[in-house]
Parts: sequence; structure tokens; C-alpha cells
Amino acid sequence: MHGFLLTQLLTGLASAAQLFLLAAGLTVIFGVTRVVNFAHGALYMLGAYLGYSLITRAPPTPLGFALGALATAGAVAALGAALEIGLLRRLYRAPELFQLLATFAVALMAEDLTQRLWGAEDLALPRPGFLAAAVRIGAARFPLYDLVLIGLGPAVYLALLALFRTTRWGVLVRAATADRDMLACLGVDQRWLFTAVFALGAGLAGLGGALSLPDATATLQMGFSSVTDAFVVVVVGGLGSLSGAALASLLIGLLQAFGIALVPRSTLVLVFVVMAATLMLRPHGLLGRAPGETGGAAAAPDLIRPATPALRALALVALLAAIALPFLAGPFLLSVATEALIALLFAASLHLMMGPGGMASFGHAAWFGLGAYGAALAALALRAPLPLALVMGMLLAGAVAALFGLVVVRLAGVYLAMLTLAFAQIVWAGAMQFEEISGGDNGLLGVWPPRWLQGPIGFYVLALALCVGGALVLRRALQAPFGYALRGARDAPQRAAAIGLDIARLRWAAFTLAGAAAGLAGALYVFAKGSVFPTYLGLGRSVDALLMVLLGGVGTMSGPFVGALVYTGLYDALLLATDAWRLVLGAAIVAMVLLFPDGIAGAVARRVRA
Amino acid sequence: MLQVERLCSFYGRAQILHDVGFAIAPGSVAVLLGRNGAGKSTVLKSLIGLVPPQTGRIRFETADIAGLPPHRIARTGIGYVPEERRIFAELTVAENLETGRRPPRPGLAPWTAARLFALFPALAELRRRPAGRMSGGEQQMLAIARTLMGNPRLVLLDEPGEGLAPLMVRQIEVAVRALREEGVSLLIAEQGPAFARAVADQVLVMEKGAVVWSGTHAALDADAPARRRYLAL
Repeated sequence: MHGFLLTQLLTGLASAAQLFLLAAGLTVIFGVTRVVNFAHGALYMLGAYLGYSLITRAPPTPLGFALGALATAGAVAALGAALEIGLLRRLYRAPELFQLLATFAVALMAEDLTQRLWGAEDLALPRPGFLAAAVRIGAARFPLYDLVLIGLGPAVYLALLALFRTTRWGVLVRAATADRDMLACLGVDQRWLFTAVFALGAGLAGLGGALSLPDATATLQMGFSSVTDAFVVVVVGGLGSLSGAALASLLIGLLQAFGIALVPRSTLVLVFVVMAATLMLRPHGLLGRAPGETGGAAAAPDLIRPATPALRALALVALLAAIALPFLAGPFLLSVATEALIALLFAASLHLMMGPGGMASFGHAAWFGLGAYGAALAALALRAPLPLALVMGMLLAGAVAALFGLVVVRLAGVYLAMLTLAFAQIVWAGAMQFEEISGGDNGLLGVWPPRWLQGPIGFYVLALALCVGGALVLRRALQAPFGYALRGARDAPQRAAAIGLDIARLRWAAFTLAGAAAGLAGALYVFAKGSVFPTYLGLGRSVDALLMVLLGGVGTMSGPFVGALVYTGLYDALLLATDAWRLVLGAAIVAMVLLFPDGIAGAVARRVRA
Repeated sequence: MLQVERLCSFYGRAQILHDVGFAIAPGSVAVLLGRNGAGKSTVLKSLIGLVPPQTGRIRFETADIAGLPPHRIARTGIGYVPEERRIFAELTVAENLETGRRPPRPGLAPWTAARLFALFPALAELRRRPAGRMSGGEQQMLAIARTLMGNPRLVLLDEPGEGLAPLMVRQIEVAVRALREEGVSLLIAEQGPAFARAVADQVLVMEKGAVVWSGTHAALDADAPARRRYLAL
């Protein structure tokens, strides 16, 4: 038992060191630039791939390995600097969401390019003697390399502390964190400070990626899985706090080591419980602080006005066209149209949260997927008829959103975005892991609507009624006192509280409503496709929703309608025609963020008003 | 040393400054007087580049600086001490001074932490204290000292005495005189004439975003209608 404890302790410390190397760069970058770098995982992945190429070319000695890892860190740091100069510099004053989205796009492109350069196969580093060596500790044998990591984690932590505490550069960086404009008035060109910080953070990610090689393989999926881990560590530790990241790495690393050993398969739940508990007690993480004024100048959002007669007429024409569609279109077009309708409800539910609710979610697919799994399980396991299955899917998503909402609605901005993402990833991993319920990677198959609804026309009509109806209900809610109160709470929380609005409850209600609506969309989607897979919960689908909302424009009521239709159309027409869809999609997002920051409907509205 | 011509600045779409023009001679102290909202702070922010002017010329020594980013303007030798002081609260006093340090300039004795501690003795004992845990007056001294570390030839001071105890205001007055003796020029924005009277060579009176009166203190004393019109509350 004694030996078991010691081995688990050391295993936990080694994984804590790995986690810290992964998360340190993210928190450093956020602390200074206030940018949540979604591409951090991609940089980590690049570190692993580049590290593989460099280390396998170096002599198989400890020195060769160390030099290879350092050269990797340098190369990834240079990439980070290029990313900062080329993209992020233009976005420092933009809303946080755009920075997240732009760096997400970079991550997509990096994944595509990595696959082109290194191939789709996982790469495992050969293990020469010094990497495979083990040390006897009591009765157990422990890998020597993990002991080295246990020493390296704290060494990097102390070196970073010294850099920020004792050097002139560190003093300037800390000053820039607090007040960049004042620092500029003292003659310091803070742009280069930011570039350097970004390069430092990227270099740390690259180092972490290279150092992960002896224990793991380089895979294309590691980018997005590692960024989730890094988000969890950074959110638990407190955004921007280096010591917080160290503490959180230690906590999570040890919990996982002991959790796996005691209750296998408990790790996902454990991580989530740690995160939820921390944020309930300390909404800004263990050592984090309440965010002060952010760098971006928050422009007052445009007022939402009732639809003009022209817009109403247009909407009526669109609705009539949608009703007439079964008489005009063939089965393929109808099934595409059905998907577009489901996308519309999904986008409208996210828009409710993000626009008027002011809560950006990067994990909205969680509710879509929960609705989908709920409906599929109801239909398969309980033999529920379609209407009941739809309701059960919606209720499952709504109920989980209501529970999760209790934790998150007190958070704001990037914390919320990161936490929703982490939650969705955990649900996704759960769907992969608990095969006996969810079917794992194979999903659940054979969920079809009853005979009278089979065939594209019947289901199209059902989707039209439920999705347009649902979206209109959400729209109506926003024009009711509930919607006014919600927008008031978003724009001026203190004033809203002062006139007696219960902000947390308002946001919770919006969160739950959005979750339930997304769940209904997911439940419908299952019956449209006949099956459900973990990808329904995946990051890709969350980003689809985000893109639809942003494409349409967050600040307009017709945004989700326009965005969902345009996006589904584009996706089917354009992206499926190329195998480089991640590259195209990433480039399109970057272009959109830089060129149309207020979306299509927003740009049109601006044009009309001017 | 500083010539400002037909300066127009905006916050968003609102025009704040309307054709502001004035000049400051080397080694002199000018005071911008005017009521709250007259545009004094905006003049200083336009000069340092925080509010880039839409039109107009700003000539400092031999350089045209209108439209340059703040760090480039600061490097030409202009120092700025904002009204809110904006000290870096989590940095110590010594670290705050470090953020302002720039290379020496020919013709000026370079400022060092030691010389500044002599000018502001109260700061010397607080070297290692986080700047956020100091009194308002101490923070004001630190803000001035931090700017001086850049060895500026012209210092823009925005309401340095605001909200401070009379004793502290006295100390800042002493420091301003000491600076003039070093050959540093100053442009000080103030609401009340008392501080100005104590230190200024030249008075510029602002109202509604324009300089409406300029001259010496004696001339302002003699011009009762102007005082009533522009300065009386």
C-alpha cells in the first residue's frame, strides 16, 4: 500500500508538471494581453510534431533530446510571434469573443496544415535507453523521465517568476498588464512587449508539446484535447495567475493519478467536480482576481428595434416560400432545408444566450448533443414515440443546463466561454467513454420517425413547425419584459440590480431556455439522421453555432435567421467540395473577424441606417 | 519649444477641442485654467497622443508630433502625468520608477531614483511598498517622479493638486519650482487660480474647448471681466 501511494504520488506530480508546462503559456499570455489564446493547444501540438522531427534527427542522447526540445520551443515561439504580429495585434481592442474565434480559426488551420506536413498517422518517438530507463523506488519501478519532469516543472515555474519579478522586462510587462496606455505615455512601445509575451507563451507550449513525446504520441487530436485541459487548469487556477496555474496543475494532476487508481473512469467527473467546486467558491479561480476594465472599448450595443414593415414582409415571404418548398423541391434539397431549419433553432438558442444574454458559449453543442442522446435513448431504450422522445430530449438538455447554469451564470466573459467549452468536452468524453449507454464512438443507430412522418416531406413539415415556432418563441421572449430585463442586466449589471432585477436568476433562466431549445434542435436532428454520434456534442458543432450567430450578427434579432441559412448553404455547397475544409473554414473565420465584425445582418442594418 | 496651432480633437463624434492654439517658451511654466469640462485634460491628452487630434499642428522642438502614437511622442521628450495618476498599483515604488526610465538627454542632468528621492523625500522610505497602498499625495509624487525618470524637457501635469491636502499641494509646488530651475518646461492644467499664481509664467484660459484668453498673471488680475466671465463659478 505504501509503495502504491508513493507511485501514484510521483505519477501525479509528473502529470502535474506536464499540465503546468501546457497551461503556463496560456495564463501568461492572458495575464498580459487579455487574449484567451484558443490556438494554444495547436501550438502544443506543433511542439509535439516539430519536436518529433527535430529530436529524431538529433543524436539519441540526453543532450540531443534536450537540444531538440529547446529548438522546438524556439521555433514555436517564433510562430507565436508571427501569429501575434499578423493577427492578434489587430484584435486587442475587439470584443473577447473575436479573439477566441480568430485563434480558434488558427487552431483549425494548424490542424489541417499539420496533417498535410506530417500525415494523419500518430507519431511515436523511439525510446532510446535513457528515455526508457526506470528507477527503483521501494518495491516499485518508476520511469526516470517522469522524475526529470517532476524537477522540470518547478524549475520552469521559478524561472518564469524570476523573469517577471526581477528583470526590467518583467517590470514593464507587469506594468503593461495593468495599464498599457499609461506605459505608452512613458515611452515604452508596448506592442513589442506583447509580441514577446506571446512568443514566450507559445514557446512554453512548444516545449510542453516536445516534452510530452516520451510519454505519449503526437496526434492531430491533441490540439483540441490539450487546449481543453489547459483551459481547465487556467480557469481553476485563476486566469492570468502563474502561481494559480501551478497550484491547479498540482491539484488536478494528483487527483487524476489517485482517481484513476481508485475509481477507474472517474477522472472526467473528478475534473469537472474540481472545476465546478472551485468556481462556486471562488468565481475567479484559486488565485485569480476579478477582472478589471478590459482593454476593449465596449461600444454600446445597438438598440433592438421592432421589425420594420419591409422586414416583416420579407419574413412573411420567406415563411411562405418555406411552406411551399415541399411542392417545389426534390428530396435532397428538402433534407438540406430540414437541416437548415434545425440549424436555425440551434443558432437562435445560442443567440439568446450570447446576444441579449451576454453569455458567450463555446460549448453550446453540449445541449444539442444532450437533446440528441436524450431523444435517441428514449426512442431506443424506452420505446417512446416520437413526440415523447422529442420532449424527453429537450427536457434532458434543459435540466442539465439548469443544473450547470447554477454554476456558470455568475461568471462572465471568457470564464464563461471557457467553462462552457470545458463542460461540452467533458460531456463529449463521457459519450465516448460510457459505451454501454451511449454506444461510444459507434453511436446509437436506427432512430427513425414513425412511418407517417417518414419521407422528406413529412419530417420537413414537422421541422418547419417546431424550429420556426421555437425560434419565434425565443424571439418573442426577447421582446417581452424578460428580454428587456436580460439586456439591461447585460449592459449595466449594477444598475439592473439596483432597480431590483435578480441578475443571476435572469441569466439562469436564459441559460436554461437556451439549453432546452438547443436540446429540441438536437432531438429533431437525431430523427432527421436516424442516428447519434459523439460528434453531435463536439467542439465542431459548438463552433458551427457560434459562426452562424456571428455570421448573422450578434446585435440583431434577425441575425440567427440569416446566419443559419447562409452558413448551412455555404457549408453544404462549398466546404464539402474540398478536402481542406478546416483550412477554408479557418481562413473564412479570420477574414470574417477582420472584415465583418458585426455580421451580415449587422452590416446590412448599418448600411440601411446610414 | 511647443507650438500648437488650430488643434481639433474629438471623442467619438463629439468635438471637444475647437482650433486650440498656444505656444510655450523653453524653461517656462504655463497654466491652463478653466472650469470643469472646458477641455483642459483633452489638450494634454492630445499633446501626448492619447486622444489623437483630428486636425491641427503640434510642433515640439524640431518635430511635428500630431498623430504620432504616445510612446513616440514621449520619446521626443514630453512627459505626461494624468489626472488620475495611473500609477501601477501592484508594482512597488522602485518598480514604478523603473517603468519610466529612459536614456539621458543631452543638456539635462539625468534623473535617477536617488535624485528623485531627494526631490520627494516621502517616497524614499516607501521604495518597496506596492504603490497601490500609498496615500493620494504620495501617489501623485510617485506619478510625477515616474514621468521625470524619462528625462522629459516638457512635462504635462493634469490637475496635480486635485483632492490633496494643502500640505501635499505645497510639496508639489516646491517640486514644480525645482523642475523649472532644472530647465524643464511645464504645462499644468488647473481649475483654481491659486496654484497657478504660485508657479506660472503664463496663463492660458480655456472655455468650451478653445483658448479664450492668454497672458501673464498680472494681466489676468487686471482683467476683472475676463476673470468673471471665464473663471467665476
